Amino acid sequence: MMESILAGADQIFSVPTLLTMLLGTIAGIIAAAIPGFTITMAIILTLPLTFGMPPLQGVATMLAVYVGGYTGGLVSAALLGIPGTPSSVATTFDAFPMARRGEPGRALAIGIWASFCGALISTVVLIIAAPPLALIAVKLGPWEYFSLIVFAMTIVASVAGKSMLRGLMAGMLGLLIATVGPDPIMGVPRFTFDTYLLEAGLPFLVVLIGIFAVSQLLSEVEDVDQVKQGEALITGKIVFRPLKVLREILAYPINLIRSSLIGVLVGAVPGAGGSIANLVCYDYAKRGSRTPEKFGTGTPEGIVASESGNSATSGGGLIPMIALGIPGSAVDAILMASLMVHGIGVGPRLIVDHADLVYGMFMAMAIAAMMVLVICLSSMRLFLGVTKVPKSVIVPVVLVLCLIGAFALTQRIADLYLLLGIGIFGYILSKLNYPLAPVVLGAILGPIGESNLRRALMTNEDWTLFFTRPISLVLLVLAVLSIAFSVRSHYRQRHVTRSSG
Amino acid sequence: MAHIVFNGLLAALFIFLFVRAGSYPSSMWEPLGSGTFPRLVLGMLVLFNVMIVVQETRHFLRASPLPAKACRAWIWRHRLMFGVLLLFALLVFAVPTLGFRWSSLVFLFVTQVLLGARHWKSLLIAGVIAVAFSFGVEIVFREVFLISLPRGLLD
Repeated sequence: MMESILAGADQIFSVPTLLTMLLGTIAGIIAAAIPGFTITMAIILTLPLTFGMPPLQGVATMLAVYVGGYTGGLVSAALLGIPGTPSSVATTFDAFPMARRGEPGRALAIGIWASFCGALISTVVLIIAAPPLALIAVKLGPWEYFSLIVFAMTIVASVAGKSMLRGLMAGMLGLLIATVGPDPIMGVPRFTFDTYLLEAGLPFLVVLIGIFAVSQLLSEVEDVDQVKQGEALITGKIVFRPLKVLREILAYPINLIRSSLIGVLVGAVPGAGGSIANLVCYDYAKRGSRTPEKFGTGTPEGIVASESGNSATSGGGLIPMIALGIPGSAVDAILMASLMVHGIGVGPRLIVDHADLVYGMFMAMAIAAMMVLVICLSSMRLFLGVTKVPKSVIVPVVLVLCLIGAFALTQRIADLYLLLGIGIFGYILSKLNYPLAPVVLGAILGPIGESNLRRALMTNEDWTLFFTRPISLVLLVLAVLSIAFSVRSHYRQRHVTRSSG
Repeated sequence: MAHIVFNGLLAALFIFLFVRAGSYPSSMWEPLGSGTFPRLVLGMLVLFNVMIVVQETRHFLRASPLPAKACRAWIWRHRLMFGVLLLFALLVFAVPTLGFRWSSLVFLFVTQVLLGARHWKSLLIAGVIAVAFSFGVEIVFREVFLISLPRGLLD
């Protein structure tokens, strides 16, 4: 074992590998900061560049893009209120309000440190618990997956805002959006009306950019006086004190560790990932907080939960891949592809036959996390420069970047029309005080939920299996408890507001 | 009132889709057909729509009526937002014809002017930004990321 660790370290700590990892980290941060440019896209674009590299250097470079991407999404989430990637949706809930009230430096620093801690904790868990955790994850059948999705949907109740009814409706709207296009089992086109526009469905990325970015940018130019005076997105003096913020983060150790562990677990479940983890962690942090009413107004707890949770999925996703050869997400599948290009078979024998490679990957994760920390802390003042740019400049520029983001993944012109339509719909929803996060949550979870429900009933028509299989039952009971808890705290909060008002 | 109209329209759309989903085929291999899950979601959506309409009608009946010109005043107050939305819509429809570079160049410059760039110095900055984020970004995507953005008549 020691020999393999040293062999891995020898390859990782070489100048070319460290250099390409550094470039990968920077590319990941920048790519994820552009709304609509996902981490998956950044990894796909990196893959051809790694063909000429030795296997470990190639994978380490891609891991650096991966880890950098999780932190990069924070930049636009905090400064523009637009999640750079689906993994940073929950970051916008508190980082943006904090930046808006004049503390953008604090919001970013909290996010950076939380991301670093999340990635580091997930690497430690990855090293210790890869085989046993992966074994649990692959034991889940379609019944457990469906119950997991039902449980995840109960988060809607927590992010619903003032009206539970509107939150539930928004969540259902997300589920409906996900049903447009080919059905996940038979491929039958649904609600496409034989049009080219809808034949591929409503791509999740276009929904995310339209709902969050376009509607948010339109809201920014509502006040004529503010815009004409050249007001920036965020006003006030920018202060950036990373060490003071580190102490602040360490004041929430339970939140930090719990969110990181949830991130690892969600990441280890194939099909889940950062996009779900950030919302689940946020939900748990809110429930566990002594001041849940502060969530959504710019509390550090919310940023810590979301950012440590989404960064921790990077390590979690590698667990089933390394132990069993099952990719936890699209990104892990691309990482697997890069190993296979080099003739390395991925499966349970990977850790036996190529132990140096596996230990090298563990080290690459930790090094990438440190690189992200150093790069972000040293160049954050550059990012903060964005806050001084007037709205008259930032709004049209980001709208053009949104257009590119919607087009770049599938290169379909129809997606641009969908972006416009969904953007207008999102704006109407936000003006009528419907929460937007449940729409995105529904759109993410809908296809996974539907295909697992149908797969379960295809395997066995007996509905009671959802309640008789132990893990499935536990998840459903947790879902019921979660709703009951949310409804109780919702009414309690309303009661407190009424009596104080 | 906006809630009542919005939810009323959505309920009508969802009922139409619910009926349509009933005609989707089912397979002999599975008990649920293609339309079952959407119908489940649509049914719940209609229920929520009705609940919101009932809730909002009660509020509407209790609330004092808005001044006669309130709607017009709201539109006037949001004129910049409507302007930006119109320009963005024009950009979306111009990209397939004129190509990304030229349509985004015009969009970026005109939108910055609309949002307040009036003096020669700010117009100069607007011009530089427009070129950088249209032609410049197109080059970066083509050469670095190997993604070609839409080309049109002017390319």
